[in-house]
Amino acid sequence: MQELRLDGKVALVMGVENGIGRALAVALAEAGADVACCATRPSQEVAAHSCANEVWAVGRRSLAAAVRATSPQEVEALVERVVAELGRLDILVNAHDLPFALPLEETGPEQFRRVLAENLEAVYLAIRAASRPMLAQGKGRIINVVPLLAERGLANATAYCAAKAGVLNLTRALALEWARRGIAINALGCGWTEGEGLASDPEAQAALGRYLPYRRLAQPREMAGAAVYLASEAADFVTGQVIWVDGGALSHI
Amino acid sequence: MGVLDGLSLQGKVAVVTGAGRGLGRAMALALARAGADVVCAARSQEQIEETARLVRELGPRSLALPTDVTDPHQCTNLIETTVRELGRIDILVNNAGGATPGSDKPVEEIKDEEWRLGIDTNLSSVFYCCRAAIPHMVRQGGGKIINVSSGYGLRGGRNNFIYCSAKAAIINFTRSLALTYARYNIQANCIVPGFFPHENPEVLQYLRGGQFIPMGRVGRDEEIGPACIFLASSLSDHMNGGIIVLDGGGLAGGQAPTGLAPRIPLREE
Repeated sequence: MQELRLDGKVALVMGVENGIGRALAVALAEAGADVACCATRPSQEVAAHSCANEVWAVGRRSLAAAVRATSPQEVEALVERVVAELGRLDILVNAHDLPFALPLEETGPEQFRRVLAENLEAVYLAIRAASRPMLAQGKGRIINVVPLLAERGLANATAYCAAKAGVLNLTRALALEWARRGIAINALGCGWTEGEGLASDPEAQAALGRYLPYRRLAQPREMAGAAVYLASEAADFVTGQVIWVDGGALSHI
Repeated sequence: MGVLDGLSLQGKVAVVTGAGRGLGRAMALALARAGADVVCAARSQEQIEETARLVRELGPRSLALPTDVTDPHQCTNLIETTVRELGRIDILVNNAGGATPGSDKPVEEIKDEEWRLGIDTNLSSVFYCCRAAIPHMVRQGGGKIINVSSGYGLRGGRNNFIYCSAKAAIINFTRSLALTYARYNIQANCIVPGFFPHENPEVLQYLRGGQFIPMGRVGRDEEIGPACIFLASSLSDHMNGGIIVLDGGGLAGGQAPTGLAPRIPLREE
């Protein structure tokens, strides 16, 4: 399947401080892409460098960055840096994630806004910044990483669920907007993954391990195949869709 | 005229299959309370006679017509007798169905006749009754079709092939009805019940009293009545090809054990 190779492409992965973001960055590199690894908080610079080192280790070029993902200026400067240092931008992966779960009556407006800002608005900002080189070259791929909670509810997770569902439907809306401009935008739907999202709560993780059809959570690496597919020319006719890699969870009643 | 006046089914004629008990009886009685005459169909004469008696107690006319809905001739006969005896058919509730032998088997163990019986009971029956009723509805200038699917029509179940397949097919059959007959003023919609174990102690025990349902209980049969009346009434005239789910919140979640409510405070900037 030569169509699955990403040789000559440049990817930007947002959220490499998360297990899924990091796994996707490395997988895109293994498929042949040069990958810019960006953490979504300045304090996570070490994680970004560690991810970039892994990309270098598989023989691809990389750069490491850590920006405030909710800052339009910083995100735009990041995209300019990627294009300047790696030559172009073909693939954007949005793996932003700010976990949060509290009963609604304990969720204040500032918290709600911050959850929306970091999980939804930051995705918009990354897309808007990346769209400049992509629209200019008439070609691009955007992959938005969403958890099961983009599709279903969970008690205490109202703000988080609302933000993630927002990312999913943003994906569909923008796919239609850019369908004739060469940019395909899809979602990678991740099942419950160890240490990721709201499964970062140990008690939740243990309960899920007994509940899920596979009787276990996914490893971040298990999301890689679908991401490479969506980033590649093998998926040229796919846009506005979500591919769920969920171990069968959504089939469940 | 208030909005609730639109709920009246006075002068309408409804056919309810599977009306002998459970959700079917509950819907028959609900339609009767809203004023509709109700034809009760099922295999068991005794049970539908009782439903018909309860309908008449509420005022409207009622017939009990023993019908095996897996037989296309009997379905046609049901509709034709309804029109002959009560003059018209405005509302068709395709409710008959349920688990049939082989509905709890892994796929490699299902026999041809088990598959066919389950599909005939749950899916072909809907087709047979619609085929018989729609020409009358077209002639009359409109009608309402209410198909009863299931939560298992939207999700799978372990060893649950026949029922899940048929119930999912009902939902998409309904969408095609909606698209085809919209111009004839016929609205077709689905009700998707969650767990309503009809006072079946075995199923209730399997469901542990409904503690895995977010609301912590199973459905009560009479709770399907208002949804049925709404879909049969003029208040739903712009609703077509849709579904109403009554499941105590089950399908809204289902991605984590019921009751799981993690507490994850925001991390510092």
